Amino acid sequence: MASLTVSRFHLVSRVAAAVLGGYLFVWGAMALGVAGLFALGMSFHDAEHLCAMLAFLVYLVVFLWSFAAPDLRRVWLILAGGGALMSVLASLIQHALI
Amino acid sequence: MMQNFRLAMAWVHTWFGLLLGFVLIVVFFFGSLSVFDREIDRWAIPETRFEPQPMPSFDEILRPAFESMQPTEESVAAMRGRVDGPMPAHFDTPIRWGAYTTHRDPVLGLFAGYQVPNAKNPDELVWGNRTIDPRSGDALPDDRLKIGSRFFYPLHYSLNLHWMDLGYWIVGLAALVMLVALVTGVIMHRKLFRELFTFRPGKSKQRSLLDLHNLTGVVALPFHFMFAFTGLVIFAGIYFPVTHTQLEPLHELHEVLDAEETGLPHERAGKPAAMASVDAMVREAQRRWAERDMAGEVGFLAVQYVDDANGYVSVYRAGTDRIALTGEGIHFKASTGEVLREDPPPSVVERVDEFLTGLHLQHFRHWMLRWLYVFGGLMGCVCLATGFLFFVEKRKRQHAKRGESGARVVDALAVTTVTGMLVATLAMLVANRLLPDHLPGRGDWEQYSFWGAWLLAMAHAFLRTAPVARARLAPAWREQCLAVAVMAVTAVLLNWVTTGDHLLRTLRDGYWPVAGVDLFMLTGAVIALLAARRLGLRRRPLPVALTDEEAAHA
Repeated sequence: MASLTVSRFHLVSRVAAAVLGGYLFVWGAMALGVAGLFALGMSFHDAEHLCAMLAFLVYLVVFLWSFAAPDLRRVWLILAGGGALMSVLASLIQHALI
Repeated sequence: MMQNFRLAMAWVHTWFGLLLGFVLIVVFFFGSLSVFDREIDRWAIPETRFEPQPMPSFDEILRPAFESMQPTEESVAAMRGRVDGPMPAHFDTPIRWGAYTTHRDPVLGLFAGYQVPNAKNPDELVWGNRTIDPRSGDALPDDRLKIGSRFFYPLHYSLNLHWMDLGYWIVGLAALVMLVALVTGVIMHRKLFRELFTFRPGKSKQRSLLDLHNLTGVVALPFHFMFAFTGLVIFAGIYFPVTHTQLEPLHELHEVLDAEETGLPHERAGKPAAMASVDAMVREAQRRWAERDMAGEVGFLAVQYVDDANGYVSVYRAGTDRIALTGEGIHFKASTGEVLREDPPPSVVERVDEFLTGLHLQHFRHWMLRWLYVFGGLMGCVCLATGFLFFVEKRKRQHAKRGESGARVVDALAVTTVTGMLVATLAMLVANRLLPDHLPGRGDWEQYSFWGAWLLAMAHAFLRTAPVARARLAPAWREQCLAVAVMAVTAVLLNWVTTGDHLLRTLRDGYWPVAGVDLFMLTGAVIALLAARRLGLRRRPLPVALTDEEAAHA
């Protein structure tokens, strides 16, 4: 089995990247999406619903990508780092609106 | 991580599919049963075996029923820590009354929320609920568990595991993994189109299992994808509470703007005001729906700020004539009956959202579509079960040689979640017919019989899968199939004995809720018997015959 070729730590880290890293990334994307679309004039509920629908498709894609990408460090960097960055941007937009 | 993309995807499919598959099969099975949750309620509560009723008169039936209600003990107990001072013995200020029904409900569910004096958060209410016979307004016995709509249905999305909402999260992860398994499954199989039409029951067991796994997965792929996806979207607010945490300030800003726009009061005036005729408001709402060519049954009726000058009545339509879950709510000033607001037509995003939600929750009236949902869900169960079996079949000889127990454990868990789940379900229905009518905590006993039977089935599964460790067939499968057949027939017979509603009578009267549940169980019994017979015939190990293609799956 192919999994025998990788260490246990690497495997756990992959799974964590897909599930938890993916969650952080989707959270950030959703926050940025809602705040951004609202700032652009979409109604709050529309922005909320649209982002909720897209969120799970994004989650699906990043989940699969976490296992397909060769470089695990890059996966963590993009998912956790990107998620945090988008969350901060969302809060900044919110701050500007209120 | 692995040698190539396809192998990585196969790894994800195998291991995530296996681990969360045990959850998914529960979700699929009880989701399928939930399509007919109201009908299962009728079977389980014989006093309610009468025709579905429309929303009754508010002025004559509902108002007296609401006035005699009080919050539940549990709700009051849960509130106790969030109040300065003692709790009153009687709650005098109802804030919200609501009544909800569907085109399949003979009985009507009511709920009422009450203001709590000295509550730390004045907006927090205590809640009471009641089920009435809408023809008379009489309350049904409190302690009757609606097995379909209050046990099987929540089991489908929360596993009835409420501690820290853990059940929701497990089901959510399982639904995501369902999407993942569908995509990775397609990636694994290059010859997808050919496999769509391939089923070779005569070939080796492993080969036919894989064929059936692919067939049920691929033929119903859009169905599986849509249900996993829409299920996630319905609970998006739980899984990603972004707008109630990080973006709460933005949400509040929007609420204030929204309240200004709708013109509906957002607090009590504190001045008492008598209510005008709600029946007249319902008639006006129906007149307005009729103008738009929409079916006019009321699905949801709510009074906000009861008997207050700011009170208003909201009347929502039961969406029986379309897939989208819509309400076309019309709101009236409670004291005068004048229309305050008519919900505007939904935006494009809202329409998509309502369509997806409605597709999953099926409030529409279309019996054939309902049955297609059941078969789609059961096909998902077959897909999962064959997945488990394929996993076991592929490894059991290897594990037997190496003295490992992996295949045996997976087989035991498969027995537990496939036939064991049926044993638990039937045990609950049997208990429902056997427990004395006035037993205190009757509903709790029904739930104990469900979980108790499932635990027993699990113990049996682990004990009686020992031969798998020697690469043989587990006797647990056959024995539980026989148990399922016996219990299903028992449940049908008990229904006859305790209520007199045998199949000849329910079929003659065309009373499908009970006839349908009985027939469904009898069909299950026949299938279980056939399966037990087949398993009895192949109790010896089969020769190993791996083709190259199967080896590639490893």
